[in-house]
Amino acid sequence: MRRLAAIDGAAAALGLFVGQKAADASALAPGLVTADAEPEADSAALVALADWCCRFSPAVAIDAPDGLVLDITGVAHLWWGEGAMVADLLRRLESNGLTARASVAGNPAAAGALARFAPGPTLVAEGGEAEALAPLPVTALRLEAPVAAQIVRLGLTTIGRLAALPRAALTRRFGAEVVTRLDQALGKSRQALVFRRPPTPWLARLAFAEPISAPEDLARVTADIAALICARLETEGRGAGRFELTFHRLDGKAIPLAIGLAIPGRDPRAIARLFAPMLETVDPGFGIEVVTLAAMAVERRGQSQRRLEQGGEVPVEEGVAPLVDRLVNRLGDEAVWRAEPHPSHAPERAVMRRPALSPSASAGWSRDRPRPLRLFRRPEPIEAMAPIPDDPPVFFRWRGVHHRVRLAEGPERLAEEWWRRPLEDDRPSRVRDYYRVEDESGARFWLFRAGLYGGGDPPKWWLHGLF
Amino acid sequence: MIYAELQTTTNYDFLRGASHPGELVLAAKALGHAAIGIADRNTLAGVVRAWSQGKAIGQRVLAGARLVFADGTPEVICYPIDREAWGRLTRLLTVGQRRSRKGECHLLAQDLSAHAEGQLMLVVPPERLESPFESRLRDLARDHPGQVWLLASRGYGARDLKRLARLNALAQRCGAPMVAGNDVLYHGPERRALQDVLTCVREGCTITEAGLRLEANAERHLKASAEMARLFADYPEAVARTAEIADRVTFDLSQLKYEYPREPVPPGKTAIAHLRDLAWAGAAWRYPAAIPEKVGALLNAELALIEELDYPNYFLTVHDIVHWARSQGILCQGRGSAANSVVCFCLGVTSVDPTEPDHDMLFARFISRERDEPPDIDVDFEHERRELVMQYVYERYGRARAAICATVIHYRPRSAIRDVGKALGLTEDVTAALAGTVWGSWGDGLPDEHIRQAGLDPASPDIRRATTLATELLGFPRHLSQHVGGFVLTERRLDETVPIGNGAMKDRTFIEWDKDDIDALGLMKVDVLALGMLTAIKRAMDILGIADMADIPREDPAVYEMLSRADSVGVFQVESRAQMSMLPRMKPNRFYDLVIEVAIVRPGPIQGDMVHPYLRRREGIEKVEFPKPSPEHGPPDELERVLGKTKGVPLFQEQAMRLAIEAAKFTPEEANGLRRAMATFRHYGDVGVYGAKFVEGMTRRGYDPAFAQRCFKQIEGFGSYGFPESHAISFAKLVYVSAWIKCRHPDVFCAALLNSQPMGFYQPAQLVRDAREHGVEVREADVMWSGWDCEIEPDPPSGAGKGFLRLGLRQIRGLRQDEAARLIAARKAGARTLSDLARIADLSRQALEFLAEADAFRSLGLDRRAALWAVKGMAPERRVEADAPLLALMGAPAENAVDLPAMALSAHVAEDYRTTSLSLKAHPCRFFRPLLNELGAVTAVSLRDRRDGARVAVGGLVLIRQRPGTAKGIVFITLEDETGSANVVVWKDVFAANRREAMSAAFLVVHGRMQKAGEVIHVVAERFTDLSGRLGELRTGAPALRASEPRLLKSRDFH
Repeated sequence: MRRLAAIDGAAAALGLFVGQKAADASALAPGLVTADAEPEADSAALVALADWCCRFSPAVAIDAPDGLVLDITGVAHLWWGEGAMVADLLRRLESNGLTARASVAGNPAAAGALARFAPGPTLVAEGGEAEALAPLPVTALRLEAPVAAQIVRLGLTTIGRLAALPRAALTRRFGAEVVTRLDQALGKSRQALVFRRPPTPWLARLAFAEPISAPEDLARVTADIAALICARLETEGRGAGRFELTFHRLDGKAIPLAIGLAIPGRDPRAIARLFAPMLETVDPGFGIEVVTLAAMAVERRGQSQRRLEQGGEVPVEEGVAPLVDRLVNRLGDEAVWRAEPHPSHAPERAVMRRPALSPSASAGWSRDRPRPLRLFRRPEPIEAMAPIPDDPPVFFRWRGVHHRVRLAEGPERLAEEWWRRPLEDDRPSRVRDYYRVEDESGARFWLFRAGLYGGGDPPKWWLHGLF
Repeated sequence: MIYAELQTTTNYDFLRGASHPGELVLAAKALGHAAIGIADRNTLAGVVRAWSQGKAIGQRVLAGARLVFADGTPEVICYPIDREAWGRLTRLLTVGQRRSRKGECHLLAQDLSAHAEGQLMLVVPPERLESPFESRLRDLARDHPGQVWLLASRGYGARDLKRLARLNALAQRCGAPMVAGNDVLYHGPERRALQDVLTCVREGCTITEAGLRLEANAERHLKASAEMARLFADYPEAVARTAEIADRVTFDLSQLKYEYPREPVPPGKTAIAHLRDLAWAGAAWRYPAAIPEKVGALLNAELALIEELDYPNYFLTVHDIVHWARSQGILCQGRGSAANSVVCFCLGVTSVDPTEPDHDMLFARFISRERDEPPDIDVDFEHERRELVMQYVYERYGRARAAICATVIHYRPRSAIRDVGKALGLTEDVTAALAGTVWGSWGDGLPDEHIRQAGLDPASPDIRRATTLATELLGFPRHLSQHVGGFVLTERRLDETVPIGNGAMKDRTFIEWDKDDIDALGLMKVDVLALGMLTAIKRAMDILGIADMADIPREDPAVYEMLSRADSVGVFQVESRAQMSMLPRMKPNRFYDLVIEVAIVRPGPIQGDMVHPYLRRREGIEKVEFPKPSPEHGPPDELERVLGKTKGVPLFQEQAMRLAIEAAKFTPEEANGLRRAMATFRHYGDVGVYGAKFVEGMTRRGYDPAFAQRCFKQIEGFGSYGFPESHAISFAKLVYVSAWIKCRHPDVFCAALLNSQPMGFYQPAQLVRDAREHGVEVREADVMWSGWDCEIEPDPPSGAGKGFLRLGLRQIRGLRQDEAARLIAARKAGARTLSDLARIADLSRQALEFLAEADAFRSLGLDRRAALWAVKGMAPERRVEADAPLLALMGAPAENAVDLPAMALSAHVAEDYRTTSLSLKAHPCRFFRPLLNELGAVTAVSLRDRRDGARVAVGGLVLIRQRPGTAKGIVFITLEDETGSANVVVWKDVFAANRREAMSAAFLVVHGRMQKAGEVIHVVAERFTDLSGRLGELRTGAPALRASEPRLLKSRDFH
């Protein structure tokens, strides 16, 4: 069953709520626009946000599913105080289109409770938690829902009321968890947080005492920096699919260059070679003082050492990979591809362009459905003569040349894809009968007749490819 | 050269075949095929339908199956040549189905060889002809000489002819002659699109993703002999062989002669003699004084007819089941065409005395000689104990001879549009919107206007495509499910007649054929059904010490007087709002009025516009008259004889049949056909054909064509909702019995209904409220007083006073019956304190919490909050205490008393609803009265004093919402406040403008106008104020912070 996982303000105004059945919600609000929840993407986004928050504090912990805890001990003064810091954080989030709530307190539990349940940003000084938390509902302690509901039913609706009861009585009734949460929020016990460390970026940097500008210097530093990052990739058993080389000029301008690899790699010489033709486009201005090389699309990759018994043989992909890389980096992504069968009955759609070195996804070309090596982008009209109703043609004329058919196979009857046209237009006679024919000179053609004899419009003949 | 298509897949090969079996048979007939062989994958579910169609139009149909194996054996189409071979085929499929999950069939090569005798086997070659196939084919042909062929088909693939040549060579090498087939998926090429959609549904992909899983062309349809001969021009013998194979089959489904189980007949006695003895003994029991002459005569006549038609075993079998149920004290009631007979009354199958006035329904009329099909009796049992009866049937007849019928689940508009939309790649939102335009389980396709309402453009090709294909898909079988209780019983092994598969429930098996198939073949079926009201009546009769429903005083005027006031909450069948608004107009004053009441408020008569004419005639506003045929065509009173009892308005299915026979001169067979057309798939069947014939027949005989039209429209309106009089009489009996109990013993009635929940239209809160309004004192469930069930407690305990209704512990949500039983035992053992109860009854902490939260400790001086605090403080889990008995006595070290905030009455009420679904303390609306006053809402009870057309507002909890398919988009809402309930009518446009409030509010103020017709009062809604969000205030006294599901009780929504 589909349920609403999150709603926006407009939906809330309509009375929809999180947890509602999606079908009910759509019935209530016809035209409701929904999108599938993507919890993984949400948590990935939260992680990214956590990394971004490093600008505010080096210690950021994720408070799943929707919170972040920033330890701002000793850093708030950089923003001229906690209030200004919270305001800055919220403003920046808002300008990025994120709605957020924030509060500051002496411990993460209290700050979390206040952020989620206090009416607005709240700053609580160390020791002031009990007072600040007292009016909040017990759910702010993030207890298990049934426990929280039962506590409320006992009349203990606020944290204040709960905190006023003897600890022992609470523990007996609700277990240690409730008291632990309460103590954490009141700052009576500490909560261990797991702070997130942003991953070390795959970045190498070379700074020069003397700015460089000679082309051969550029080529040399490119090779140097490639060796630097590739050594790191090698140690960690990884390869990268994309490299971005940036030259930082004295005047602060940065000139980026990028190359891609068909197979993630870490061969410094190959990488430098791919960059080489682009270096001439770099205008060094008054000189370049820093060069950085970032590796992207980094993934795990085995050791390049081959076993002895394999000898010098290189897998086909690796053999042509350098060539493909060079072609792609020269001609562009679009220009280099491989044809692969695509599961479709329509010949035009039965071929798929795939990246030159991607692993083959299909089972190969079927022998039962012979397809020409060269399929015309548009079939060409021909004149043909064939016995009815569906025998192969005896001769045909293409581009003014007369061909007498010596051998033929077919028909292979392919009906049109009815879902691509209005249903009323779909008639059983909308078919193509394909024939593979050979003329007297031994040339092979792929012809078809569109339509059936006696099926309304007179059929027409076309040539669709050459074998 | 005559061709017979032997390779046909119907749509009972679910999500593969794209034509109904009947369509294929009709097409085969039109093309002049010698025969058509039906062979679905591992199932025989569609063959009866094909066979019936074939019988009707004179087309030979071969019944077979396409066996698909799990172990790589090539597919084999099997046609049994005789009855014994048929039995082997059904056993083979049973073996495969029984070893797999529901809906699957796991066959192995050895299963085929074990059941191959007498089967003609057509091997379907795989796509790739590789050597394993050749060796398997050779083995098969060697082991079963003369029984094996190799199928070849021309699908217009690129290398068809080459493949044909290879197959021919292969066939010669292996000694399995090649035979032509077209691997048919549909009767005509126009079904290609639908078949592609089915493929997508089956594969769970969209049409653009489906790729090569679709067929390349539309060639897999039935083709004429000449065309087949052309396609197989080089192999004429392959075409000729089809007819030869068909000729070798001597089996026909009509050979499945029914044999009754022998168990109910004692050895050495004939069935009819035994039935006679039982019937007369029963008559003596029913009429202890003396058997009335009329009864004796009827009994003799019925028995003679039963003997003549050879049905005594059927009655004996039904008697056997009913007799066992009675011996176990399980209440039951028969209904159906044969049930309203003196024989059934005497056998105890029903409690309706057919000799009473107006029950002049001649039994002979329903088991007619012409209608050559077994009598039909459905037996309802108490719903809680029906399972016992089913187990008895299995035990008595054995699983090899008793099984439940299938129900074919068909595509309905919603499911059709959903599946088609998904297959066409429409987004979930669009599909949901389209599906949402179909309210109710049945509509007539998808009108453009509905599509526009859903915010979609009906002219857009995507939408057009989806709706067109969905309409085509309507009525396609989707899967088989188990019938609720229709048993087929046989004398020989049932699995030699029909395959038996596993049900979804453990230990349940059901056959592949449904009710219609069973009827068509003339097999015997007994419906063992469950009815909640019988449970309630049984419980009430137990309390009152009444043994049989027939012992309840008949024709009690007080009962009719009560019903005429529409005071019918909880009464069987007539408690719905539509029935309640009918009762004051009907003013029933005798039993037969109840029969009509039951039949008239049904979608059929409402759609057929029969209700108002009937009421007008009953109220004397309209004259009762019967049009006459031209004198030369028949007696002037022929209609009066048919429709006299119902004032000239056809209300029952039997009347429709008789009308067709008497006035339109249908043959009994045609009338039967009409009944079937109405009962089965009316919207897509051939009702129309009968319609023309009906009107023509009546007009020819001198009736006014307009009148004839109207009559047929009414008959058509019945659809399958039409109610046979025979059912209505049995139901009316239950109406009367339950009304009598309610009228004379409202406390017992309420207790019995509460103890039988869930059932019926109303929830415990309304039942209790109704009982209290009838002067019954109701008291809370309490640990010291309540049993598991609701009970009548004498008051004072001496029993002098009237007594009161004590709610049972069963009302407490979550509490388990075994724990309640231990609690009651502990109480009897002298436990008088919370800790004693907990200790002696060994109650789990959770059970104690349920009791505490339900406020069941009041008699121990603890309200729910105090009780919950005490229970939660009673030491950890009680398992641990065994080791520390000292600690167990009162929990742990003494605690200082804790001051919990007192609970407001309103919060108590909210908690009562949450834990017991009702509150005796107050009605929730009481706390909102100031708010309701502010909004101008009057109380429900005061609506009575408003005049028609006055502007009013009324507020309350939403009890029921209905959007009947018959009411053209009108929504009915029932509200309840602290004074009573109010009925609200929401017209279509108001509903559209206030959709959310009308559909989902739990607490609602309706502003509108009064509509009064006699005692029937409605508020016609104009606008709404949704107060659902304020319900949270009951608990907190303050508005809720955010929306959630703020419900006290979930309204029952019907649409």
